[in-house]
Amino acid sequence: MAEENKWKPPGDEEDEEEEVDEATYKSAKDAVLFVIEVSPSMLTAPPPTDAKKQERDTPTLAAVKCAYALMQQRIISNPNDMMGVLLYGTEETKFQDEEDARGGLGYPNCYLLTDLDIPAAGDVKALKDLVEDDEESKKLLVPSTEPVSMANVLFCANQIFTTKAPNFTSRRLFIVTDNDDPHAKDKALKSSAAVRAKDLYDLGVIIELFPISKPDHAFDRSRFYDDIIYNASPTDPEAPAPVSGGVAPSLTSDGISLLTSLLSSINSKAVAKRALFSSIPFEIGPGFRISVKGYIIFKRQEPKRSCYVWLEGEKPQIATGVTTQMADDTARTVEKLEIKKAYKFGGEQITFTPEEVSSLRHFGDPGIRIIGFKPLSMLPIWANIRHSTFIYPSEDDYVGSTRVFSALQQKLLKDQKIGIAWFVARKNATPVIAAVLPGAEKLDENGAQIIPPGMWLTPLPFADDIRQNPETNLIRAPEGLIDRMREVVQQLQLPKAMYDPRKYPNPALQWHYRILQAMALEEDLPEKPEDKTVPKYKQIDKRAGPYVIDWGHELHKEYEEWRKDNETTTSVPAKRPAPSGKDDIPDRSKKAKTATPDDGPTDAQMQHAYMKQEHKKMTVSQLKAWLHGKSISVSGKKADLLERVEEFLEQK
Amino acid sequence: MADKEATVYIVDMGRSMGEKRNARKESDLDWAMTYVWEKITSTVATDRKTAQLGAIGLRTDRTENELDSEDSFQNISVLQEIKQVLLPGLKDLWQKVKVSDTADGDAISAIVIAIQMITKHCKKLKYKRKIILVTDGRGSMDADDMSQITEKIKSDDIELVIIGVDFDDPDYGFKEEDKDPQKAVNEATFRALVEDCEGIFGTMQQAIEELGTPRLKTTRPVPSYKGQLTLGDPEQFDSALCIDVERYPRVVVRKPLAASQYVQRSDLSNDHVSTQSSATMMPDADGADSGPIQSDGNSLTSVRNARTYQVLDEEAPGGKRDVSRDDLAKGYEYGRTAVHISESDLNVTKLETQPGLEIVGFIPWSTFERYMTLSVSCIVIAQKTNSKAIMALSSLIHALFELESYAVARLVTKADREPLITLLAPSIEVDYECLLDVQLPFAEDVRSYRFPPLDRVITVSGKEIREHRNLPNDTLSAAMSDYVDRMDLSDLGKDDEGNPAEYMNMTDTFSPVLHRMDQAVRWRAVHPTEPVPPPYDILTRYSNPPKELVAGSKKRLEKLIAAADVKKVPPKVQSRKRNRNEIKPLSGLDVGALLGNNKSKKTRITRENPIPEFRQALDTTESEDAVRDAVKQLSTIIEAQIKDSFGDIAYGKAVEELDLMRNEMIDMEEPGLYNEFIKILKGKLLGEELGGDRREMWYEIRKNKLGLIEKKSSDKSNVDEDEAKAFLSSRS
Repeated sequence: MAEENKWKPPGDEEDEEEEVDEATYKSAKDAVLFVIEVSPSMLTAPPPTDAKKQERDTPTLAAVKCAYALMQQRIISNPNDMMGVLLYGTEETKFQDEEDARGGLGYPNCYLLTDLDIPAAGDVKALKDLVEDDEESKKLLVPSTEPVSMANVLFCANQIFTTKAPNFTSRRLFIVTDNDDPHAKDKALKSSAAVRAKDLYDLGVIIELFPISKPDHAFDRSRFYDDIIYNASPTDPEAPAPVSGGVAPSLTSDGISLLTSLLSSINSKAVAKRALFSSIPFEIGPGFRISVKGYIIFKRQEPKRSCYVWLEGEKPQIATGVTTQMADDTARTVEKLEIKKAYKFGGEQITFTPEEVSSLRHFGDPGIRIIGFKPLSMLPIWANIRHSTFIYPSEDDYVGSTRVFSALQQKLLKDQKIGIAWFVARKNATPVIAAVLPGAEKLDENGAQIIPPGMWLTPLPFADDIRQNPETNLIRAPEGLIDRMREVVQQLQLPKAMYDPRKYPNPALQWHYRILQAMALEEDLPEKPEDKTVPKYKQIDKRAGPYVIDWGHELHKEYEEWRKDNETTTSVPAKRPAPSGKDDIPDRSKKAKTATPDDGPTDAQMQHAYMKQEHKKMTVSQLKAWLHGKSISVSGKKADLLERVEEFLEQK
Repeated sequence: MADKEATVYIVDMGRSMGEKRNARKESDLDWAMTYVWEKITSTVATDRKTAQLGAIGLRTDRTENELDSEDSFQNISVLQEIKQVLLPGLKDLWQKVKVSDTADGDAISAIVIAIQMITKHCKKLKYKRKIILVTDGRGSMDADDMSQITEKIKSDDIELVIIGVDFDDPDYGFKEEDKDPQKAVNEATFRALVEDCEGIFGTMQQAIEELGTPRLKTTRPVPSYKGQLTLGDPEQFDSALCIDVERYPRVVVRKPLAASQYVQRSDLSNDHVSTQSSATMMPDADGADSGPIQSDGNSLTSVRNARTYQVLDEEAPGGKRDVSRDDLAKGYEYGRTAVHISESDLNVTKLETQPGLEIVGFIPWSTFERYMTLSVSCIVIAQKTNSKAIMALSSLIHALFELESYAVARLVTKADREPLITLLAPSIEVDYECLLDVQLPFAEDVRSYRFPPLDRVITVSGKEIREHRNLPNDTLSAAMSDYVDRMDLSDLGKDDEGNPAEYMNMTDTFSPVLHRMDQAVRWRAVHPTEPVPPPYDILTRYSNPPKELVAGSKKRLEKLIAAADVKKVPPKVQSRKRNRNEIKPLSGLDVGALLGNNKSKKTRITRENPIPEFRQALDTTESEDAVRDAVKQLSTIIEAQIKDSFGDIAYGKAVEELDLMRNEMIDMEEPGLYNEFIKILKGKLLGEELGGDRREMWYEIRKNKLGLIEKKSSDKSNVDEDEAKAFLSSRS
């Protein structure tokens, strides 16, 4: 069976269960359709404010800018996901390609700016032009004189999703509008919009509303949109509301531009929430279970790997690889069922049936089982092997899960404790032992959530995974030197005394896509990358410079003293070899650079090594250097040198 | 590289080893061999040319050794010269280890032969030399020249290990009752010999028990970065701080053995297979009965992946055509646009970087969230031979420790590698100081998923409430607190001196799958037909809370369960009937009424909007006829869509609709309606009745597991598992 296999490079046949699982997680695809209203009020720029650099985009343009930003971002973060932009209320009408049957006639005053698809360079360019070119936007963004039927807009969206994104696990409609009651006077139109909204709900489309308040009128959802939007748990009026991002954008919001606030609320919905595992049992004690869902919140974003491009056609096309498995001896194609798993052992293959392999790998059903609790202090910072998984309670299998989960999370937070758990993420997943860390909710200045409240499963290394420390000497810094260094450290706290990942975009990843974008749009290549991870050298010099120089002086002094102490004990002072040239640089106080190593080991090191019988591990040149310093012969083989070293050290 | 090793096993195969003693179900030889095979197969599994071993049989029927002309060396056979043993050699050895008919053969003489083998093989080269003797101590021995042997063992630096069946070991706590006087004397002789040679003397019981603790592999540390740790830019500013450092891994995940894929060779008949296998046996194997240990290793051939490349082409059949690899250029995807990059420009998207470990700033421990770390950890130490750097780094480590701070640094390990942000944490132990380093996320690595708070509830109407069924009440909070406190693991374990210590420290836990697969492969190599024994206890020990803890917290758990009042959702009520009719928008508007639902009228399902309309049709009816009608309408639409599909363009839609129909029929308890349709559809697809070759569509159905609804999924189904499986896999 020929199987499409985009992800694995050729020849990568070794199976790695864990990664396969992550791949299926990723393949849960998301399609987002922006629906942006064009109307006289949406095309009115906000009144000027005192803030000077205030951007004054019209709401429609701000929304298109958001769509443009989101499109660029999603190309990097979700390269397989679809996106589209539909304007409504425009004078012009445009739908999918004419040949696609019904054309645009069915949806008057709807303008499909970007059809729902994985964005192409052309789509990015079209949005860019609209955003950056006034002429372009003036031409297109003309409001129609006829009122638009929302039922029609919603059905238009329905058709776009049905034809372009079948079988998608997540389909979302982002509506940006300032009109909270489009059909105030026409009850029939209002009803038919509600009916079309139900269709979307039944199609599995989630509507996210991004309302914009007018200066004289706050957006009132209850007038129209509460009939359009559905709640996740409809049976329960007391249910927690869907979390919304910070403050609703408004034309009057002072200080923050409309664009910024709209961007931030759209960003919070940018990624469809995808569960890594849904409703697995969380066993807090024997026989006491609740259910939780798992999500990946932190994970390294890698650039999409390179692909093959076919250049012989009209335009370059990506060639999809198809892997066929065949037997090495006769090159005949083999069926999946024929394939056996074999393990190399003693130069030959040991085989197992697939059933045997899965039973050998089976260590119980999926679930998280608490083994007990420990203080957080027992979890060293190095005990880490990969990103943590966020878990949040789910009422799907056990009613009451949320309150129990909450009780546990609060207890652990209060007492700074962690749980230790046996964790099998999916059927046949490799079991791990994980720390269960409580995580408190974190909000930003505007009250929008940055880190959700819940718990985190941090897989811990096994004894097999822990490496030994490499051997090295221990020279503890004297108090005075530590004091100097403390002053340095105190000068250079990061802003707000915390590490905020949002402040550090990945420079390599951004550069990769900047270049690709420029190449795809046939623009000039940018020259210098922006890299926010590079330390602020000037600031460091200004704030900590003098302290570092002090530390450098102290280091020089202390080191010389240490050297004296450590060398007088092992050799006759008069005969001590002169310090090597490098250590004599007179001006080293200015540059607090530490010395490069001497050519040979110091007496202390040699003595130490000899005590531990490690002098045998030294290289011939190290031995020679040391012997030379003692004016002892350096001729002969390593064994001879060692003998002389031992002789010398034993005499004393 | 690990040292070269030469190990000689001496196995006592005398008649007495054939007995079953001390209520064991296996003979002493078989029992002792569990230990020997574990040891030998572990060595074979390393696949190291430098891990070599030999084997000697003691008290064998025959005599085969270099000194066999002498009386004292009778009944000793060299089974295996020292070399790297591979699977055939192992099988061969397996054949040769059998209980003999003799009681003669001197263990001390066997040791002498082992010494000789080692001397001959290793000459003066650097080897780890080792002799392991396994015996029941029931043979007769001549211990007169022991001092000479001891001297030789010591001067050649050979490690001597003697493991005895039912030997007394007061340290371990084993004593054999009614011990044979001859055995007692021998045990004493062995013990004295081992003590003189500074070797290891032990009882088999303990040796076998210790096999359950997996051995750790040591790996030579290799630095992942060598360079400077800087604060500020030394090129620009004199005030910059630089320390020469090296970075080594602290945690590296050891992966379980990877399997490769194989298929049966097609050029071999079954007859061939067995000849082929036994041909790998050593010539002197008494090959008569080689059946059970024969693996089909040689009858397999590996599976190769052949890649072909396709592009879309509207004119080609199926809409795709193959292109040659030579016509393809390298490139990247930007969205769905292919960006082609010429061979000479391949690095153009790569960010140019200089290696370095640069401190960006410092943060207090208190603001750092432990769950942010993304990677395995490393350690950073000062350049090993640079005392001044060691002192300099030490001052940073201590300063960070005293200020309870971490450093955040930008790391580039080699030129033009992508920069990473790492957290540098101070670590101070009695005799070791270093910085620990773990990677932190960038902006793109954080997904902003939002979740409702857990300590308060905000309702749809915007009310914030503190008492809610989703929030714990005081009783539940108190019960949880009591339970967590009682389930404390921090002093449940024991350290080496028997003092209370942390239970389940990471150094006590072993990777279950890794060691299980390792155990299974080694077992299968020597026992091809026997089932693999259960996993070592240590691998499952930590999958459940310790018994004593569970017993001690039973009362508190009962209280907690009572306070929590958690109820399992019965599987039945998850079905659609409970929820569907109550679905309403936020306003509570009854959209069903707007739709003009009329239970008697049949709803029409259109091709434009099939999914919502099918759902709504089922919502509004209870009658079997109406359900049947809805299914029929949707079936017609699906068939038409496939028939009109250009290439695979409509397959996604069809799959989604089939999936919907299948799930709804399970919920409506009408599996028959779906099964009937999918059977017809299969026939039409494979019979090319829906617009030509539609095998790809059938493949989509298989891939998405849209076959017959079986009994497991719906009680009303009369399709069993085998039938469902056959339906999906067969092509007719």
